[in-house]
Amino acid sequence: MILQRGVKLEQQKTASLRHKIKILPVPEGMAEPKPLPPRKDKLDAGGIIAAAEAAGIVDEFDGVALDKKMKRLRRLKPDMIVACCFDEDPCTTSAMATLRENTHAMIAGLVLAARACGAAENKIAVATAKEARVIRKINPQADLILAGERYPARVLLKRKLYASGKNAAYIGAQALLALTAAVDDSEAQNFTVVTVAGDGVEHWRNMRVRIGTPLQFLLDACEVSEKTKVVITGSSVTGKAVTDLSQPVTAATRCVIALKKPPRNKTYPCIGCEKCERACPRGIVPWRVLREIQSASPDPVRMPNVQKCIGCSACAVACPSGIDLTAVISKAAAYKKSGDFD
Amino acid sequence: MTLNEARAPYVKSEASVSSMMRDVLFALLMLLVLPVVHYGVRPLVMAGVTMLACAVCEILFSLIQTRSISLSDGSSLVTGMVIAMLMPLNAPLWLPCAAAAFAILVAKMPFGSIGHTPFNPAAAGVAFAALCWPKEMFSYFDPAVSQSIPPYQDFTAVLTHSPAAVLKNGLKPDILPLDMLWGVFAGPLGATGILVIAACGLFLFLKRTARWEITASFLLAATLIAAFFPRIACSPLTSVKYELMSGSLLFCSVFMVTDPVTAPHRMLGRILYGAFAGFLIMMFRRFGAFEQGAAFAVLIANAAAPQIDSLLCGTLRLGDELYDE
Repeated sequence: MILQRGVKLEQQKTASLRHKIKILPVPEGMAEPKPLPPRKDKLDAGGIIAAAEAAGIVDEFDGVALDKKMKRLRRLKPDMIVACCFDEDPCTTSAMATLRENTHAMIAGLVLAARACGAAENKIAVATAKEARVIRKINPQADLILAGERYPARVLLKRKLYASGKNAAYIGAQALLALTAAVDDSEAQNFTVVTVAGDGVEHWRNMRVRIGTPLQFLLDACEVSEKTKVVITGSSVTGKAVTDLSQPVTAATRCVIALKKPPRNKTYPCIGCEKCERACPRGIVPWRVLREIQSASPDPVRMPNVQKCIGCSACAVACPSGIDLTAVISKAAAYKKSGDFD
Repeated sequence: MTLNEARAPYVKSEASVSSMMRDVLFALLMLLVLPVVHYGVRPLVMAGVTMLACAVCEILFSLIQTRSISLSDGSSLVTGMVIAMLMPLNAPLWLPCAAAAFAILVAKMPFGSIGHTPFNPAAAGVAFAALCWPKEMFSYFDPAVSQSIPPYQDFTAVLTHSPAAVLKNGLKPDILPLDMLWGVFAGPLGATGILVIAACGLFLFLKRTARWEITASFLLAATLIAAFFPRIACSPLTSVKYELMSGSLLFCSVFMVTDPVTAPHRMLGRILYGAFAGFLIMMFRRFGAFEQGAAFAVLIANAAAPQIDSLLCGTLRLGDELYDE
């Protein structure tokens, strides 16, 4: 395919990948986690799912409980399980660093997940060929595929695998690691790796954090500047700005970004450059939907595929005019669904 | 530490409207280098005055309409630069200013500024100047004769026929091809440096600021017409050489037809649009009253763009096939 989908974002990964994952001490006053009873079940599909349920593992990519996800996948019968060891976000490296330091455990978790879901193949998805070489040096047997660096990498990988006739399922890196720990050592998912980045912090680091630690404690450990104006959790594209730093780190927190300046919001009218159309991984034509929504009588036939939007915001990132196209598409989808046309 | 709310997305791709305009402005500035080396500071003064006129007109119109003034997108500066590039160097300075005033006050602002213009404002301004003052627009000084060029006063220069005018009269231009490549011939200020324009075009295509398919189909159409229906008695290759390098054809193909606001939005549409504009420019050269019809060709192609768009968007499938989850 000549046309490359997605948006190319400037990658800022080297600063946080330079150091090993740092273990953040558990803040005082946090209760010790209750140890799980030792696993008694056999290591078949049911046993693995039960272990995941007992450990309370959450997939960090979609925030779904891993046992529920694996039960659903067991019904759907995927051909392949893919471990998402790449970070879509330009300054997050938590999944990459986790894979680098726990390659063997990651493969073990992937094999367990594949067995639980009844999938024949399992692969580890990494971002670039350079990263793949690093991983092959650690473990030459690792079965790797490349996801690329264009945002949204996960959906683009899904498209690529679907086009080659593979019905793949995707599980996050932290969840797989927690699955290995749950099966081998009967440990609950107590820790997660979070990337702390942005111009508001002195040290860009990957931190291994106890789930439930307040964000303030995590940011203080990375020497956050007093001039920080915006703190974002999740991702710098689809994440949320946090105003209350006593909020806890959850299993789905992959990065915390502290910015000194709020992002600029200068918008211009659409100039018809079609960058949004090329960015969209779902075949929506956002500029046309925008024009239709702004017209006096929007025609739902002229907004194809809007209901298939997954909210990845690739169009809004790509738009040189700074238009919030994600909101436009969701408005169009709501309009199309309402059936209330003139 | 007080934290603010901010709306996603928090990162942007590097391309923004102002950065795209900066790229175009940079490319246009590169075009000024050769004229400045050859003829002194007058080209710079001309470009500066035209850009200033555009900016002043935009501010005035915004004040009259009681709208907020937004010059930050840089589109009015690009319009000014393009107009200056299509003027002869010996034109009085009020000529590009008049063209700029028409471009901004008639072709751009009443339609709602950037993003809403149905016609390329620079093309409209140049067409206006060509219709009103053809004598000033199409008389070029002779770069072969050494003469002093004052920085800003009007001056009477030794005039010569530009290659486009010679072709119009059915004769073969008497210029070495190498001189044409380096831009040492009579013609519009910025449209003569063929090599520089080609380099600027490459820069804009690689930066993805301009779309290559419009330029490619535009040049292909012009080449085919020049090769099969030469205006002068010569081999097809010679005809193609002189047609493409004379006048403002190449400049238009890089800087005017590629304007994303006025071009169609689909790949096939852009190819059709470029070919149509290329066909028009050759027809204007053959049958038109003026030696150059580039601005008119661009305006008529602009008028056809929405039709091309609705034709293709109506019949072709929008977006590609999607898989089901």
